[in-house]
Amino acid sequence: MAFYEENPAQISKAEIVVAIPSFNEAATIGFAAEQAGKGLIEFFGDLKSVLINCDNHSTDGTKEAFMAAAPEVPKIYLSTPEGVRGKGNNLRNLFEKVRELEARVVIVVEADIKNATPYWIRNLGQPILKGAGYVCPLYVRHKYEASLTSSIVYPLTRCLYGRRVRQPNAGEFGFKGELVNHFLDSPLWTESVQQFGVDIWMTTIALNARMPICQSFMGSPKMHRAKDADAELGVAFRQTLSTLFDLMLMYSEFWQLVKWSKPTALFGTDAQEVATPLPFEVNMNGLHDKFLKGFDDYLGLWESMFDQTQFHKLLEIKSLGLQHFSFPGQTWARILFEAFKAYSEAEAQRRMAIVDSLLPLYLGKFLSFVKKTERMSLQQAEEYVENECMVFEENKPYLVKILE
Amino acid sequence: MPKILVVDDEEHIRLLYSEELKEAGYEVITADSGYELLDRIEREKPDLVILDIKMVDYNGLDILQDIRNHYYDLPVILSTAYDTFKEDMKSIAADFYVVKSFDLTELKKKIAMALETRLP
Repeated sequence: MAFYEENPAQISKAEIVVAIPSFNEAATIGFAAEQAGKGLIEFFGDLKSVLINCDNHSTDGTKEAFMAAAPEVPKIYLSTPEGVRGKGNNLRNLFEKVRELEARVVIVVEADIKNATPYWIRNLGQPILKGAGYVCPLYVRHKYEASLTSSIVYPLTRCLYGRRVRQPNAGEFGFKGELVNHFLDSPLWTESVQQFGVDIWMTTIALNARMPICQSFMGSPKMHRAKDADAELGVAFRQTLSTLFDLMLMYSEFWQLVKWSKPTALFGTDAQEVATPLPFEVNMNGLHDKFLKGFDDYLGLWESMFDQTQFHKLLEIKSLGLQHFSFPGQTWARILFEAFKAYSEAEAQRRMAIVDSLLPLYLGKFLSFVKKTERMSLQQAEEYVENECMVFEENKPYLVKILE
Repeated sequence: MPKILVVDDEEHIRLLYSEELKEAGYEVITADSGYELLDRIEREKPDLVILDIKMVDYNGLDILQDIRNHYYDLPVILSTAYDTFKEDMKSIAADFYVVKSFDLTELKKKIAMALETRLP
C-alpha cells in the first residue's frame, strides 16, 4: 500500500488508468498530465478513467502541479514514504492501486516527456482493448540512441524469450489490468528492479506470462528533460543488466525451451506525420579509451569468467586500435552468455563486479557498431541490429550448453 | 505435413513455389489475391503463409497487419521483388522476408526456421 494517498474524487473503480511516475518533476508533470487527460477524453471517452501520479515524496511541488493539470479528469496522488526512491517503488504502488480499482487498461508515461501527445495515450491503450496484453512503444530513434537497448537488452530479450520487442525498456507501456497480479506476485524485487530495472522487469514478466505483445509506433522521438548521460550510464547499466541476469535465473526453464523468435503485432502505423530522429553525437575516442581502461581494471576478472577463446579474442580486439576497431557479434553474444554463467555461480558482491566489468566491453561493442554503421541510413543500421540479433539466436545453444 | 498458403498474383510464382515446396515435402495451397484471405486462412488453417507484398489490387503489408491482428502466431514470410518495403514500418510484423528468385534455397531455409520456432 502507498505510504500516502490523495483521492479527492473518491474514485473506487476505474476502467482505464494513466499513470505518471515521478520524483521532483514539478516543471514537466503538468504537460504530461494535460496530454494524458486529452488522450483519455478524446480516445477513451466512454470508459471510466483516472489519472494517477505515483510519486517518490517530491518536495518541489510535483503533487500540486499534477493536481492542477487536466481538471476534467479525476486524479489520484500516491507517494512512497520520504526517502524511498525509484521508479519501481512508484510502480509497485500503482500496481496495488490498479488491483483495487479493477482497471482493465493501464498506461504508464514518464513525467519528464516534453513532446507527448494525446495520440501516445491512444497508441498505448487501444491495442489492449483490441486484445493485446502488453504494449511497448516504438519511438523514432537515432541509430546511436539507446545503444544499451540495441546492444544488449533487445538481442538478449529476443533470443531468450522469443519475441522481437525492439524497445522493451523504453519507459512507457500499456498493459492489461490483470497483469498487475503477475507483477505483484513476482518473487524478484531487487534494488535494481525498484529503480530503473523495473522497465525490462515488467516486459519480461509479460513475456513469461505469455501475454500477446504489441508494439505501437509513436511516430516521433521521445524528448526528455536533459540528463547527464555519462553520470547515469553506469547506474542504468548496472540496474538493467543485473535485472536481465536475475530474470534469466528466474525464468531459465521457460527460455531454455524457446527456439528462434517471432514478431509481434504492430499498432499505430496509420499515423500522423513521422518525425526525424534527434541528432546524436558520439565520441569515438572516448569510447575507445574507456574500452581500453577496462583491461587495466578487469583483466583478471575477465580471464576468470570467460572461456579462453573469448578471452583471447578480447586481447585481439584490444590490439586492433581505433582505426580498425571491430567487435564481432558472436564474441559479444558469447561474452554475455559466459558472464551470465559466472553471475549465476557467484555470490552477491562478485555478481555486481561481474556486471560492472561488462560496461567497458559494452562501450567497445557500441564503438564497433558506430564504426560499422557510420555511413549507413537509419534503416540500414536497423538491419545491422537485426542481423546481430540473429547471431544471438544462432548462438543460444552455446548458452544452454555451458549451463549444463 | 505442414500446409503452406502461397499468396501471389503472378501465376508463374504460384506454380514455381507450389512445385518446389511440394517436392520439399509441404502441402501447398494458393491464392491469387488478398480477397477474403482471412476467411481462407480460417477455413484452411495453413501452418505458414508466403505473402507477396505488391499485388495489383492489394498491399501485402496491409494484409500482413490483418493476419497478425487475427492470427498472432501464424508465421508469415514476405516475398518481394525489391527490398524497399523495409522502409515501411509494417514489415516488422513478418517473421521473415525473401527476395523473389528462381532459386528457392533461402525461402526453404526461412520456412524451416519459421516452422521450427518454438515458444512455450
